[in-house]
Amino acid sequence: MVSYIVKIKGGVNLRSGSSIKRSFNLWGMLSAFFAALIILPNVDLFGNLFVQPNENWYHIKTYLLKDYITNTLVIIGFTGVFTVLVGSGLAWLISAYDFPGRKIINWALILPLTIPTYIGAYTYNGILNYTGVVQRLLRNVLEVQVSPKWLDIMNIQGAIFIFAVFLFPYVYTVTRAFLSNQSASLIENARLLGKNSLEIFCQVVLPISRGAILGGMTLVIFEVLNDYGVVSYFGVQTFSTAIFKAWFSMGDIDTAVKLSGVLMTIVISVLLLERGLRGRKKYSYTTSKVRPIVRTRLRGLKGFWAFFVSFMFLSLGFIIPVLQLLVWSTLTYKKVLNIAFLKLLGNSVVVALVAALIILGVAVIIANFSRLQENWVGKLFSKVTLLGYSIPGAVISMGVILFFVDFDRKLEWFYKALNPNSITLVLSSSVVMLIFAYSVRFLAVGYQSIEAGFEKVGKKFFEASRILGNGVTKTFFRVDLPMIKPAVISAFALTFVDIVKELPLTLILRPYNFNTLATKTYEYATDEMIHEAAIPALLIILVSIASVYLLNKLGEKEGI
Amino acid sequence: MFAEIRGLSFRYKNSSVDNVKDFNLEMNQGEVTCILGESGSGKSTVLRLLAGLEFPLNGQMQINGKILFNEDKFVLPEKRGIGMVFQDYALFPHMTVEENIRFGLTNLSKQEKTERIREMLELVHLEDYAKRYPYELSGGQQQRVAIARAVAPKPSILLLDEPFSNLDAHLRQSIREELNGILKDTGMTSIFVTHDREDAKSIADQVVILDKGETIGKGKAIII
Repeated sequence: MVSYIVKIKGGVNLRSGSSIKRSFNLWGMLSAFFAALIILPNVDLFGNLFVQPNENWYHIKTYLLKDYITNTLVIIGFTGVFTVLVGSGLAWLISAYDFPGRKIINWALILPLTIPTYIGAYTYNGILNYTGVVQRLLRNVLEVQVSPKWLDIMNIQGAIFIFAVFLFPYVYTVTRAFLSNQSASLIENARLLGKNSLEIFCQVVLPISRGAILGGMTLVIFEVLNDYGVVSYFGVQTFSTAIFKAWFSMGDIDTAVKLSGVLMTIVISVLLLERGLRGRKKYSYTTSKVRPIVRTRLRGLKGFWAFFVSFMFLSLGFIIPVLQLLVWSTLTYKKVLNIAFLKLLGNSVVVALVAALIILGVAVIIANFSRLQENWVGKLFSKVTLLGYSIPGAVISMGVILFFVDFDRKLEWFYKALNPNSITLVLSSSVVMLIFAYSVRFLAVGYQSIEAGFEKVGKKFFEASRILGNGVTKTFFRVDLPMIKPAVISAFALTFVDIVKELPLTLILRPYNFNTLATKTYEYATDEMIHEAAIPALLIILVSIASVYLLNKLGEKEGI
Repeated sequence: MFAEIRGLSFRYKNSSVDNVKDFNLEMNQGEVTCILGESGSGKSTVLRLLAGLEFPLNGQMQINGKILFNEDKFVLPEKRGIGMVFQDYALFPHMTVEENIRFGLTNLSKQEKTERIREMLELVHLEDYAKRYPYELSGGQQQRVAIARAVAPKPSILLLDEPFSNLDAHLRQSIREELNGILKDTGMTSIFVTHDREDAKSIADQVVILDKGETIGKGKAIII
């Protein structure tokens, strides 16, 4: 007993605060530091929005801005509509009906997401252009002359096709998850009331899953706004191509920042629109009973059609491009696979690994602080982590460049003290800046997974550990961290893959002569070396598939 | 007096009334106290306040002359030396029975720890279950591990939150007797919370009855 009485002395806390949670100083300080690092580049960007515009900007404003806005809106509008139709339609088909091949297609329909859209874009162009398999088949075997115009996808419609075909799984997965958990009784009631399938889809499924569908569609739109690879390859002028042009061709960061500002207005409008459309309805409904929908069995011709339609989208979004890439890779592997390729692979793995680990560290610290703090500070930090994901890569790059150049200038004396011949832009010409930008952009991905992990575990184990004599930090390492391990693994897999696939940020912020699988793939493709691009592309897809597989396994284990 | 709580009150963040009002309690060493009340009476909140998991609005508490909280002092839960058995036990699922019990043991040599764990397993009759994981145990066994884990660091007071609520009705009587035995064996000063008068009658030396955060009755168990 004596030992306890002595020990109590060390734990005394003055009662100046209103909460015992005040004692998490270290966690709070670290969280505040990370949150500041995320916000500062954005503040820099915002500050530079209002500098005096130059000639370039006036030129763009007078002649080009309207096109950028129209093209961007047309692409997100049509892509949004198509992904919603395809994604929610397939989700309904899979959730409510049983047909041959359903089981495989059910999980396989997520696979289009493993193909980065820029890879999809040049693959389809390779399939459909004059020397591609389709035109050769028509010309040489079937002896049909088709105007090349009909098969040209290097335009705005083509970009929409690519986005729709590769991004619909965002809507599909969210809607399917929603339908399988929430809607059984509503749909059964509609069936009993004599509604047919189409009526149920339009009158019940679409309205009740509105929130889920909108959530998925917002993700699609963010992906589209972030894209640089597809639109630049197809020669469509949008904001990201304009920002690239301002920065790379004209070296004009002020104009790039102004374009970013307009693009951010669109991003914020999308977010507000989503909120407005979703209304007060949230994802979850009040019925506590979760049971699956009883699926109607489709036989004969109907079953065949159901299979055919879903298989067609799977083929468009995955099987066809992957087969084509495989064929190309057999033509070029001897040329492509060499020491330089290993270096490329090493670069990709190292930057993705380092950034993913940083993200895990930051996400775990902020998530733990935020759940224990339970007040507005915690909530604010938690919201800040989500910032990066809605900001297009090109915009983040501009903020990060401003931030790092400024930082380097302030540290110039230090660099010179270490090495009198040092250049000024030490950090901003290094891979540090790229890794920093990755961390800001993809923190949300890791954070959400880890936050969900903490939520699932709850606080009682934390409390039990505290009572058994462990402080917050010791509890974290002995109890919290081992218990959220599955969430940490999925967070790692998700962020790692996103970073390996990433293109626009990497193109802008990479150091001179630094290539990753993604940038090399893109370079090959834009240099008209589509066949050579196949191997790095397949490798990126393979990494993505591996992560999907891992997440699936974890999900099964966790019983989700 | 071994332990004393004076004028304890508490209010949850979004509440407009006090959820615990002017709670007072005195305990002699080795005494078993029962806090009896319906759900929402604030009885579990009192336990959380004593454990240091919530921050009191007012009041003071001392054990054996040592102040745990008063107007200008608040000892963190990990420094209080109080044991608690949670309603759903909160056994760490990634640790075996043995590791769960070892968790709270600090400042002991490895040998002393092993000895203490053996003693605890004996106390709760789970000698053969040391290497099992919590999910491999029945509800009653899990509860006994939770008790062993809480008692192992020799806390000054043991708190038990609804110790019988998760158990089958036909087990209740035997578990009551068993718990009674364990508490008497260890001579532990303890407070348990329940909504069942029978629980209170069969184990407690003194009973406090709570309703909407207010103490509406207090006395020897026999009177109830």
